Amino acid sequence: MKRKWKLILMMMMAIATMIVLAACGDDSDGSTDEDGNWTGTITIWDGPRWAKEGDTSGEEGKGNQYFWLEEKIAEFEKSHPGVKIELVKVPWAEMPDKLGVNIAGQSWPDIAPVDISGSAVSIDHIEQGVIESLNDFFTEEELGDFYENALNAYTYDGKLYGIPNSLTVHTMLLNLDLFEEAGVEPPENGEWTWDEFVETAEKLTFDRDGDGEIDVYGFSTYILPGYYEAWPFFYINGGKPLSDDLSEFTFDSPEAIEAIQALADLKLVNEAAPVSMGGADVGGTFQAWANEEQRTVAMEPWATWAITSAQTANPTNFMVANYPTGSTGEPITIGGVGGWTMFKQDSDAKKKVVAEFMKSISDTDEQYLMSQSYGIFPARISAAEKEPFADNPEMARAQEMSSQVAMLPRHPEWKKIDEIIQRELQLVFNGEKTAEEAMATAKPEVEALLGE
Amino acid sequence: MLELSLVLKNAGKSLKKTGKQMRKNYAAYLFLLPKLILFTLFIAIPVVWAFVLSFQEYRITEANLFAGLDNYKQVFESEAFRKALINTTIYTVVTVPFNVITALIAASFIHTLGRFAQNFFRAAFYLPTVTSMVIIAMVWRWMYNYEFGLFNHVVGWFGMEKINWLGQTDSALSAIIIMQMLIPFGVGIILYMASMSSISDSLYEAATIDGANAFQKWFKITVPMLTPSTIYLTLLSTIGSFQVFTQIILMTGGGPGYATETLVHLIYKTGFRDFEFGLAAAQSVVLFFIIFVISVLQYRVLNRKG
Repeated sequence: MKRKWKLILMMMMAIATMIVLAACGDDSDGSTDEDGNWTGTITIWDGPRWAKEGDTSGEEGKGNQYFWLEEKIAEFEKSHPGVKIELVKVPWAEMPDKLGVNIAGQSWPDIAPVDISGSAVSIDHIEQGVIESLNDFFTEEELGDFYENALNAYTYDGKLYGIPNSLTVHTMLLNLDLFEEAGVEPPENGEWTWDEFVETAEKLTFDRDGDGEIDVYGFSTYILPGYYEAWPFFYINGGKPLSDDLSEFTFDSPEAIEAIQALADLKLVNEAAPVSMGGADVGGTFQAWANEEQRTVAMEPWATWAITSAQTANPTNFMVANYPTGSTGEPITIGGVGGWTMFKQDSDAKKKVVAEFMKSISDTDEQYLMSQSYGIFPARISAAEKEPFADNPEMARAQEMSSQVAMLPRHPEWKKIDEIIQRELQLVFNGEKTAEEAMATAKPEVEALLGE
Repeated sequence: MLELSLVLKNAGKSLKKTGKQMRKNYAAYLFLLPKLILFTLFIAIPVVWAFVLSFQEYRITEANLFAGLDNYKQVFESEAFRKALINTTIYTVVTVPFNVITALIAASFIHTLGRFAQNFFRAAFYLPTVTSMVIIAMVWRWMYNYEFGLFNHVVGWFGMEKINWLGQTDSALSAIIIMQMLIPFGVGIILYMASMSSISDSLYEAATIDGANAFQKWFKITVPMLTPSTIYLTLLSTIGSFQVFTQIILMTGGGPGYATETLVHLIYKTGFRDFEFGLAAAQSVVLFFIIFVISVLQYRVLNRKG
């Protein structure tokens, strides 16, 4: 009898284990009533944005950097009874990897803040049906309120695969305290030629304490797959990585080679950049420019988020400048577009509600607010017309650079192409190869991918 | 025909016997069931699935396409895989013997100390094992910093030029290897100390009577008696070294160039950056066989010597 009870107890334990495991796989997330109204749970992923003024809560004292989206979610849930929106907080640095893993496991969120250029989702995902098209939810008039390059960044094969909510550009950030310390005049209106830039960088490289060692360098940046702060320098003579029809590798052109070598020589020959320039340390590079205890580099190129950081978290006396002009005489930079992407939905009714929420967080007022608070430029013309940077001359200067933007090539294999190029660039910047040798090595590997 | 019926009869008997034994030990099997379910779900099925996937082109929203041996062909033709394999092999060949031998030497010294000192050193050497590799890698990245890192400070004392430890092709892999060599092999030290305690004192007493000195006793008694532990630690360390990943992704990203690219970092990129899960699975299967063959060889060689 005792033995029988033991058996029953153990059977129950085994069944309980199986139930727990089965529950882990439960993916039901809503239902649709007879009128076609959907109720259920929507999942949205987002990274930290900005905190309310004065909020220093949290372990790092940065405050709640998700409060904006949390408030929008609460508003939406109130106006849509039965709809629950679950916010998953993901640090930006982890977003591509985490999303990649979830896409592979077909457990993607409903909405995520990614573009379709290949960092987290790619054109291949669109072709496989992972990303939903949003054309049905926008009228021509509504789409007319977005900048054309913003829409282009989310358009593939004539269809819209996301709502753009921000534009960013890469700019040169100049530490004016170090300019003053070295007795160097910054470029007028932030405009300069390559020769003027080199001359300035050399003057800004100095021994502060007279111990015979250089303490401050004129310029620095880093080279790493997926990062493009240094790349506008490679475009200044008219060079670009791929031909317009994406069929040829063109970073081996004389224009590109000359520009790549010139930037590497700023460290290798002119010695106006630290040895760490061209390495893979993103955080260390920024700290060298922005951290009050370091400030060992006077000029660095960064995306616009760094402007906000230099105005808030790392208060710095700085100005925004163009990248120097090369033989084309035209200033150039590289830009990016951010926005919201909807992942594959099983129900049209849910898709409609998800799209409605995406639109509610991307309207004119929200983009205006985000521009002011988060250091990005609005993707909507109507939001830009409200002049979000009227009281922010640095951001206003950076916004002027939007007209200089060149976009990166949109090839399905871009991530692999990018890695091949950037790995060779690393060798140029540490002096192990010339730009010509490095690009000659990259060419057959890249062209093999272009031919696929 | 008669032979066949005999074989079947024996097989039937054997099955019956197994069934009888299972019924007898049903309680043990039931207790093992949850673990078995978890093992099947999270280890056995993924491993089998990886083998299957290595012959397929992975599609996310539709059925995978059969790719035959294409993925394996790509693996063996890939320059990146070749470089990753060479780097990983160099890393393993240098770090594994060093770590096992230093663990043996450290454990031998600690074993001779008093109880309090033994406990102190045991805890001190085990601490890095329970510290996240992420934290260790971040600290070491600081130590290798060109401008203000600890190593370049030390180099400066001797009047030498600073070294761009992680930024140069010729020093980056060495820097990663040095880091691994200087992190104490805590598990090894603990295991060796436990094994040393079980060596009979009579062996040492007999050796003393025969006139053996301390080194001879260590080399002729302690080291051979620790062979099972050495085999285990060598296998464990080899498997771990072939899977080196965290320090690579945090400290160098595989660069400069492909100077610190390793197999698991390459597999990770192939799978989760390029979304080529079929190719990543094929790379994983190749890595599995490399580790399997090396482990079998190590076991046989060390076991024979022991």
